[in-house]
Amino acid sequence: MSKHGDFGIGKSAVQIEAQEKVSGAAQYIADLYRPNMLFGAVLQSPHAHARILNYDVSSALSMPGVRAIVTGDDLQEHWRIGAFIKDEHALAKGKVRYVGEAVAAVAAESEAKARAAAAAIEVRYEELPAVLSPETALASDAAVIHEKASEYIKVFDTGTSGNLCSRTSFREGNVDQGWRDSDLIFEARYETQPQAHVSLEPCGALAEMDANGRVSLWSANQSVFRVQANVCESLGMPMARLRCLTPRIGAGFGNKMEPHVQPIAVLLAMKAKRPVKLILSREQDFEMVRARHPFQIRFKTGVKRDGTLVAREVEVLVDGGAFADDSPGVLGYALLMSCGPYRIRHAYCHGRLAYTNKMRFGAFRGFGVPQVTFAGETQIDEIADALGLDPIEFRLKNLKREGDSWLGGQPIDSNGLAECLDRVRKASGWTGKRRLPNGENSRRALGVSCSAHISGLLSTGAIIRLLEDGTVLLNTGSVDIGQGSNTVLSQICAEALRIPLDRVSIASPDTDGSPYNWGTTASRVTYMTGTSVLRAAAEVEQKIKDHAAEILECAPADLELIPGGLVAVKGISHRNISFAAVSGRAHWAAGGPIIGSHSWVFDQKTIDPKRASVIGLPFPQIGGFVFNAIVADVEIDESTGKCRVNRAWSACDVGRAINPQMVEGQIEGAFVQGLGFALFEELVWNGAQIANPSLMDYKIPTFVEAPSELHAIIVESKDPRGPYGAKSVGEIGINGVAAAITNAVNTALDVRLRRLPLTPQRVLTVILERELTAEAARAQ
Amino acid sequence: MNQRSVVTLTINGAVVEARAAASQTLLTVIRDQLLLTSAKRGCDQGACGACTVLADGRAVRSCLSLALDCDDKRIDTIEGLGEDPTMQTLQRAFISGGAFQCGFCTPGMLLAAFALLTNNPRPSEADVRYALSGNLCRCTGYKKIVEAVLGAARALPR
Amino acid sequence: MASIGIASSPALFRPRTLTEALELLATIPGARPLSGGASLVAMMNAGLIAPTTLVSLTRVAELSGLHVSPEGTISIGAATRHNAIATDGRLSGTTSVLSRAAAQIAGEAVRNMGTIGGAIAHADPGLDFPPALYVTDAMVGIASNSGRRYVSIREFFVDWYTTVLRPGEIVVVLEIPKPKPGVALYLKHARVAGDFAIASVALSLTRQGEVRVAIGGCGPAPLASPEADRILSSDMSVTSVRRAAEVLAELANPVDDVRGTADYRKLLIPRMLTRALQNGVAAARVAA
Repeated sequence: MSKHGDFGIGKSAVQIEAQEKVSGAAQYIADLYRPNMLFGAVLQSPHAHARILNYDVSSALSMPGVRAIVTGDDLQEHWRIGAFIKDEHALAKGKVRYVGEAVAAVAAESEAKARAAAAAIEVRYEELPAVLSPETALASDAAVIHEKASEYIKVFDTGTSGNLCSRTSFREGNVDQGWRDSDLIFEARYETQPQAHVSLEPCGALAEMDANGRVSLWSANQSVFRVQANVCESLGMPMARLRCLTPRIGAGFGNKMEPHVQPIAVLLAMKAKRPVKLILSREQDFEMVRARHPFQIRFKTGVKRDGTLVAREVEVLVDGGAFADDSPGVLGYALLMSCGPYRIRHAYCHGRLAYTNKMRFGAFRGFGVPQVTFAGETQIDEIADALGLDPIEFRLKNLKREGDSWLGGQPIDSNGLAECLDRVRKASGWTGKRRLPNGENSRRALGVSCSAHISGLLSTGAIIRLLEDGTVLLNTGSVDIGQGSNTVLSQICAEALRIPLDRVSIASPDTDGSPYNWGTTASRVTYMTGTSVLRAAAEVEQKIKDHAAEILECAPADLELIPGGLVAVKGISHRNISFAAVSGRAHWAAGGPIIGSHSWVFDQKTIDPKRASVIGLPFPQIGGFVFNAIVADVEIDESTGKCRVNRAWSACDVGRAINPQMVEGQIEGAFVQGLGFALFEELVWNGAQIANPSLMDYKIPTFVEAPSELHAIIVESKDPRGPYGAKSVGEIGINGVAAAITNAVNTALDVRLRRLPLTPQRVLTVILERELTAEAARAQ
Repeated sequence: MNQRSVVTLTINGAVVEARAAASQTLLTVIRDQLLLTSAKRGCDQGACGACTVLADGRAVRSCLSLALDCDDKRIDTIEGLGEDPTMQTLQRAFISGGAFQCGFCTPGMLLAAFALLTNNPRPSEADVRYALSGNLCRCTGYKKIVEAVLGAARALPR
Repeated sequence: MASIGIASSPALFRPRTLTEALELLATIPGARPLSGGASLVAMMNAGLIAPTTLVSLTRVAELSGLHVSPEGTISIGAATRHNAIATDGRLSGTTSVLSRAAAQIAGEAVRNMGTIGGAIAHADPGLDFPPALYVTDAMVGIASNSGRRYVSIREFFVDWYTTVLRPGEIVVVLEIPKPKPGVALYLKHARVAGDFAIASVALSLTRQGEVRVAIGGCGPAPLASPEADRILSSDMSVTSVRRAAEVLAELANPVDDVRGTADYRKLLIPRMLTRALQNGVAAARVAA
């Protein structure tokens, strides 16, 4: 790994918030109090699909301690929100579209009173046929979930029609020619399941209106700006009237990027004219918010006998649930990434997203890529086996290399994937023989996968102020959800200005004062906001030099920043002046206080129309590619079918590790979350109802399921655009986990599993099939 | 209707009076009345561990303890253990080892680790994973937590 | 979906003696006993139940603790915590199955709170104690304010989440016959550590080769049969194990749930039985 900078870059600086987190002082949304505060509770829909005929809130209103009740009647029809299709209200209006949807809410003197009153609200419904799968949703006779869909504002040409929420297709080359050019064609169907985020902190919000009618809103969020936009659009409020702030956040993984109860909390606070805190229970967090999309995937790959990949076709059908939320983006992005990091001449990636009467599915780490990678990367292994090629060799033969571009033609600025593969191959002791020695009752093997992700999307900014005493205040609007962005951005700032980290303070994201940042999502904060920090720091540096030049009577170009908050004449370090002195001059004598700022939007085009054609592109500008290779050592207990990951190696090309320990933390955490996705996590629907909305019935990995050896390997390809060469790491570590684990299981058992999760039951079924086949063979 | 009785609790070594209805848990009382918010409500089912406190030195779920039934125990939350050398060693190890990200599980995790090291000062890795398996973490993947606990154990005087 | 929204709160009694507790349970309609709280408080928090009266047993000293009689029989107070059982060295030989089962329940904090009496009274089919108790031929001591009775653990579970306990009755003690020299194990198959069992096998194997086995998670009550025990005690050939598994599978009445289907659970019985016996024999060799 590269030598670390003098001040920040490459140092595993501890989290800025460390002391408060280990002492229990950290304040999350549920820990906040405002004077005279009320507590909110939500009434949920018992029906999957029904018209709301009327509400009777009279008995609820008369209950002790109840101060306000809100329903869809408090909203106007055109106050609709949605990241891509504006199809959703703050509370169900006119219709309910999934069991568990928020229908009404109460503010009362205590949470118990609010809950009791919510239960006493009477709502009359007229039930409608419930549409519970994408197939039934897209059938011609299906009940329509969004009758007014043609009126909804849409951010791109989604092709919305009936229950078809959106459709996307990418074409590069000519797949029909590709099949003709192929010696062998593989085609199979794959299926992945809904996964719940299970951030340890459930969603919640606290809203307070002041006497002037301005509202302050704290919430568990991944973007104060998305909260602001969503709340204001859903309540018909001017955005300048809402201030969104951020407590400590107990993780998100995508669940807190788009709204949950924030609009409801604001609506209650405005009606009650008192602050209202609304925290979801764990069950409500499972049932009311969002989850990872289940995918049905048809994957077809054509290959030459010598192992050259020729063509890939990917077709997906995605269940989006009752509201579009981020789903059109997930569909489009998953398709864009689906062919994998390989040189393929001909590609056709297309799919449809359907509305159903289930809880909306939305952003979850990986954003569709874990699902398509599961299919694509297990098929790669199947092809390698059929050709008699080692799976790593096969991948290396076809890998996108330095100078290649992604599907659609966007240049890949830096590419360390080959090194990632090489490092995990060596570290795992991978040989051609992937089977490891069997245990007494178990089989064991290694499995590999490759994947990619992005780092650059939409817009962000940074403001750096040199305070009177020469210390620095950094303000970026980016929310630290635990991944360490506050620390990393401060490290970048400190490095750029050559000052110790403790002279930089980072402001809490606040729509009143922070520059716009789309959000902590898409693994974008280091790359996007880090770039802004760097550029803002450059502006500060220039202004410091301009002042110092006047004081030291030289030209600004003769000056350089030297460590410790000083600016000096190049080569004559004792001729220097401190930041404090410069700042003093700026504040009191000339020029004005020093502020550096930068703002930008990622503008590299996703698609080069000369290379590829696309219909329904949700992200016209997305890029900054990162890469990952994983080898997993998986052992299967043949008496039960239970799989265990013993060891894993995950190498990520992150461009540059600004904070190596935090980068490892992302790789390790993503691996274990991916392990849950691969082996047992599944949000199950029993008809219209979620069967397991509780931590007793929905299980995530514990200390015991995590691998005994988990090796995070950092590869640095030094991106030319990223700040100090950095790209991203937030999501790349999860994309290939299920595929690597499945490849290991398939090798160990000599089967082809195509459906997630690999529950003990599914695995035992294939073990038994194999045992029966073997027995029948022996009998002959 | 909402009968609340007075209960005398020993929290972090101090005797405090709280009012609680019979159905109210220790978690509710320490968070809402005593304003000790380090213990978190992650599930209210005893499944996640974020509400972990110590009762007579043993890790328990405050979300499953009725407040009125807790007057005979010494309850410790992390706010009260800031001066304890074992806890400080653990906290330092967590900080330097990057053993938390969002931090929501961290108070419960530290208390569980503290209870482990109090009873078993030289745990093996398997001991650590077993003892902490009831505390869920969604961010870290557990590796750095295990390393921090083992590191703290090594740093403690024999 | 949650929420009975509890606006009114139960009354809570905290008797110090068993007599007091039983009197309260007999005379107050709807009174529910509260032991470790692991099940009851969780259900209250979720709004699934709203008891009007709770009788906490936490101060009734006589309900707690493990005692060995001069004859070697073991009495485990119903309010004894799982962790106390998990670590008590007096549960040796064939009775160590109870410690092994206790050690795999939930997580450390729940093991510090949950009690054996509370667990079996709740009668969740995924519980770890019932098959272990079957294998030790435990007797359940039940008391009400009108007296005491003893029921074999094999008669205690009558249906899903239903035991023989009548209103006003609580479990007060588990009486375990004297341990025999030998080994015991509890093989648990669950999705993750601490989850309810999908299926489990409790097994004891004496030095004389006497086998006791019970299967958990495959019905409202553990599966056990003297015939299966007899078959395995005589020999553990592949044929015998298959026969014993068939005998046990015939008693199986599992359900489909998110952890697995009924069919899957039935498939597990012979496989886990084989595995448990392999482990047991290996353990016996080491112990010998």
